[in-house]
Amino acid sequence: MPSGKLALLYPYFVLAAGVLAVLLGRMLRPSGSSRSSGTVITALVILAVAVLIAWLSPAEGDIYSIFYFDGFTRFMFIFSALATALAIFMASHSLEVAQNRFSEYTAILMTLCIGLSLMAASKNLLFTYLAIEMVSMSSYILTGFKRLDLASHEAALKYVIYGSVASAVMVFGMSLLFGLTGTISYSGIAQALGSAGIMVQAGQIGLFAMFIALMMVFTGFTFKIAAVPFHMWCPDVYQGAPTPFTGFLSVAPKAAGFALIMRFMAELFPAAAPSLTNSILMVLGLMSAVTMTLGNFSAIQQTNVKRLLAYSSIAQAGYVLMGVVVLSLAGSEAVLLYLLIYLFMNMGAFAVLQMIIDASGSEELSAFRGLGYRAPMTAFALAVFLFSLAGLPPLAGFIGKFYLFAAALKTGSNWYAALAVVAILNSVVALFYYVKIIREMYLSDEQAKMPRAISRPSLYVVVVMVVPVFILGLYWEPLQKLVEAAAAVLRLP
Amino acid sequence: MEPFAQAHLLWLIPVLPLLGAFINGAFGLKIHRRYGEKPIHVVAILMPALSFVIAAYYFLQMTALAPEQRQMLNHLYDWIRIGDFNLPLAFWFDPLSGAMTLMITFVGTLIHIYSVGYMHKDDSYWRFFAYMNLFMFSMLTLILGDNFVLMFVGWEGVGLCSYLLISFWYRDLKNAGAGMKAFITNRVGDFGFIIGMFALLWALGGGWNASGYALQRPENLTLVFREIKLIAPLLLNEQIFGIAAPTFICLLFFWGATAKSAQIPLYVWLPDAMAGPTPVSALIHAATMVTAGVYMVARLNFLFAMSPVVMTVVAGVGALTALFAATIGLFQTDIKKVLAYSTVSQLGYMFMGVGIGAYWVGIFHLLTHAFFKACLFLGSGSVIHAMHHAYHKSNNHHDDPQDMRNMGGLGQYMPTTKWTYLAACFAIAGFPFMSGFFSKDEILWLNFANANTLIPGQVFWAIGAGAALLTAFYMFRSYFMTFTGKFRGSADTAHHLHESPKSITSVLKTLGVLSIIGGVIGLPKLWHLPNFLEHWLEPVFETAQPYLHWHHYSHGLEWGLMALSVVIAFTGFAIAYTLYKDARSKVPAQFIQKYPALHRVVYNKYYVDEFYQATFIRGTMIFSNLCDWFDRTVVDGLVNLSAFVTHQFSKLNGWHDNKVIDGAVNGLASLTGYCGQALRKVQTGRIQTYLYVLLGGGLVLILIRFVIFS
Repeated sequence: MPSGKLALLYPYFVLAAGVLAVLLGRMLRPSGSSRSSGTVITALVILAVAVLIAWLSPAEGDIYSIFYFDGFTRFMFIFSALATALAIFMASHSLEVAQNRFSEYTAILMTLCIGLSLMAASKNLLFTYLAIEMVSMSSYILTGFKRLDLASHEAALKYVIYGSVASAVMVFGMSLLFGLTGTISYSGIAQALGSAGIMVQAGQIGLFAMFIALMMVFTGFTFKIAAVPFHMWCPDVYQGAPTPFTGFLSVAPKAAGFALIMRFMAELFPAAAPSLTNSILMVLGLMSAVTMTLGNFSAIQQTNVKRLLAYSSIAQAGYVLMGVVVLSLAGSEAVLLYLLIYLFMNMGAFAVLQMIIDASGSEELSAFRGLGYRAPMTAFALAVFLFSLAGLPPLAGFIGKFYLFAAALKTGSNWYAALAVVAILNSVVALFYYVKIIREMYLSDEQAKMPRAISRPSLYVVVVMVVPVFILGLYWEPLQKLVEAAAAVLRLP
Repeated sequence: MEPFAQAHLLWLIPVLPLLGAFINGAFGLKIHRRYGEKPIHVVAILMPALSFVIAAYYFLQMTALAPEQRQMLNHLYDWIRIGDFNLPLAFWFDPLSGAMTLMITFVGTLIHIYSVGYMHKDDSYWRFFAYMNLFMFSMLTLILGDNFVLMFVGWEGVGLCSYLLISFWYRDLKNAGAGMKAFITNRVGDFGFIIGMFALLWALGGGWNASGYALQRPENLTLVFREIKLIAPLLLNEQIFGIAAPTFICLLFFWGATAKSAQIPLYVWLPDAMAGPTPVSALIHAATMVTAGVYMVARLNFLFAMSPVVMTVVAGVGALTALFAATIGLFQTDIKKVLAYSTVSQLGYMFMGVGIGAYWVGIFHLLTHAFFKACLFLGSGSVIHAMHHAYHKSNNHHDDPQDMRNMGGLGQYMPTTKWTYLAACFAIAGFPFMSGFFSKDEILWLNFANANTLIPGQVFWAIGAGAALLTAFYMFRSYFMTFTGKFRGSADTAHHLHESPKSITSVLKTLGVLSIIGGVIGLPKLWHLPNFLEHWLEPVFETAQPYLHWHHYSHGLEWGLMALSVVIAFTGFAIAYTLYKDARSKVPAQFIQKYPALHRVVYNKYYVDEFYQATFIRGTMIFSNLCDWFDRTVVDGLVNLSAFVTHQFSKLNGWHDNKVIDGAVNGLASLTGYCGQALRKVQTGRIQTYLYVLLGGGLVLILIRFVIFS
């Protein structure tokens, strides 16, 4: 490797060193001590340094055409680090994460963060697989992190089994791709798919084989974003995992999954034969429509708020997938914009949920009864997050949805317009269950029997997330510029 | 942007009340508990008052400019940018929005002051003022926004605040219901507005042909009023679904206006909205919010003037509403209901004005109406306040303090309220030289003379004149029933009646004076007097002028019609005087006995509410029950079926596990057995199902491609 290229990896080195530092810090501390503030500060400083290096370093380029550090990777790196920082902060005072094991939690989460940004950086099937597995393995561990909780264990085990099968299908698909094209680099496959490529020369049968191989690969990819029909693990795992991690799980790995898919599609499809591209896009578009619909309709019936938010995040993934499927510059900009907004509003909702669970011990809707009177600030924040998730103006969620829908309509194709209509109808349905929680908080006559205690640090986290949800709804131009720079790398029309 | 005068502080006009709403909304409860009511209303009054000062400053600055330069812009930043479409966040101050802003901040401030006395000792004092300030913010955004989207933000905002304030005393189910009714009805209208907005945007950018929509002029994609004004003539050549584009678009916008401004058929929410506190009725449901529809039509004059069909519809709906609501007002006994129907009716007049293309006169009536109707509402509020107080003191909890049959002779207890109410009655009835006379007469005359509608203007004139007679009658009826004669309650109650506090009477006096003299801004040309308002608004409406035509009648005819208006007003007054003065006449009671059916139908508002209840609401309920049934039987049935199938499948699987696998791995004995046990325990969840769905789903996705693309 040319030594100059090493600079591309500096942010990753910093993170890796950070993992070690956090673990070392734990060992040096007296074993009885359970203070976590040292760990939090170390982790946040490390993440901040890594983000600064990634942001300020002018270095861009690739290593052996496998790993690409460019505007897109940079965006996803910062995104992942931000999500990780918030998740660490949320976990630092959660009752669900044992304080004496908090350092381990932090270390694994930071490892996960490395994996996430590698997912966005890869242009090689093998490397993609490794990045995905790095994320998956860490996720399995953190899901089962509640040592004495059976539900947490069950969730982790289900996650492992499900994830392994999905991975197996994906690796099978990758091996087929390798067998068909003789290469594992995205650009090589794109060449094979191109007008003069071997797949086209092989005729109809080649495209057919290619379609099946690609669909198998997409099985693994869409498992990460929990799109229907590869979503079944999602509610169980979300419910069983410690709440601060669930918040993270519903945002960061999904975002990385979307980034991976976008990179993959942008590399392969513009060159490929239209019949192949169209059939893949059609299937994914259908998945998007089914995902949002099924997610929303399942969420309506939930009385367990954690499960409800799990289904809501399935539906949200459906909206985002729509932006991916249009395969255009506007679409990918909209996706990145939405993901960043989604980061704040969804993790914010989980942060409030975590406070409620810690205070009342219950995840049920009834735990929210009269929250508007017990803890007005918290309730208000949750209302803001939920309204934003529902996409009501003037909150950030509206802007995100607006760009997604606009991207679909802008293509001018009836098929995408229909998809947008489904999405719009779905946002109406979604409003129903978001409002259900808000109604419980404000309009319930029965006054609080629940404890009021809402911890101060949790409130800080919530404020940190509620402010962007407000501001980005009115003034998102800087964010728009950021997103434009990141999406330009994909070179879509 | 350059040619316009810059007004850098314009954004403060809406934002200051928003700040007030935030302060009182976020910290009001604590402030109230610790420092009492004073800091709350000081903040709440100060904010709109400051807005008024800023508005007045810019207004004065504008008067110094030449008429065609009277436009000020405050561009904050580009709000939404998508491709060729650019939407700024900007406020726009021109003669029209300037006049409206001045009126709203002025009347709004007065009503805030009035509320200090009216809401005194209410538990949610802070909440009330927070909502009121939030309303001011929304209303001012609606008026000052320089594009449709910003207007829509305000449009939605006022709807929300109206809902919050109508159901302010939400512990009473009736109030909560009224709030919901207002909100839902308004949503129906908002739907029209937003569709109209999209239709307009698309029609500007291109057209519909056989193959669908084609974007031909991407540079024209704009929702900024002043830009649309320049390119609007394009629309004359466009069609949407075979209808001329201006007609289609304006009908949708007018649909929105009928909900917000309470016109047929969406007027039903306004009378119920009187469930809210009276200052709310005065501010939102008389002076400001309900006029938003009128303002919108005037703002879009260059679109509405293009289509004679739309002009006829607007003026026709306005005229019908004016008459229809006036007839309902005849028999109402709740003082606020009378005023509510009179508001609906007066809004009808405004639409008659803007409908036929006499935009300035619609705005003129809007402004004079704001003064006299606010005065009437606040007067009624003063009466209700006194009645409520007296009932409370005399331990009377069953009589309705708003029912005029329980009042009578209140004039002697509350003289200021009486005189201001009377002044406003004269104004609304159109007595000569009062503000309402000038505006209403001008509307009637221009309706008579207009050549823009498909129906002859004389028809509108006749309907309007008829409604004017009814107006004069029922307004004076309410005055006589309330203030003259002998008090119809117990002596004990009468003992506790007294005039309202100063914060209330001072506002009444101010508005009373304005009801009398407010007409000077628009004196009739017939009298060779200067008409300030028409000249002031001329630059706003000049783009519409080429489309407008007027009949030219002799001055004699105009004088004659004016005289007729005066006669009508006096007739109404005279009938009310004979029938209701001091409650001496027996005729009203006999009339009810003689024609019970007629009275019942009118008193119950022609059963329109019941009709809506039976059709739309019941229809919706039936539909949702149907969906519920579908969900319970069909969907749940499918779910249960699939659960059953899965269950059987896992049984099979379990059997396979037990017999085949366990048999094979017997050699690994205890360890495997233990793991198998543990695993199976977990697997009695449905992880098998999950995996079946994973693989089966993948297979379906692959197959689907061949089904569809075959």
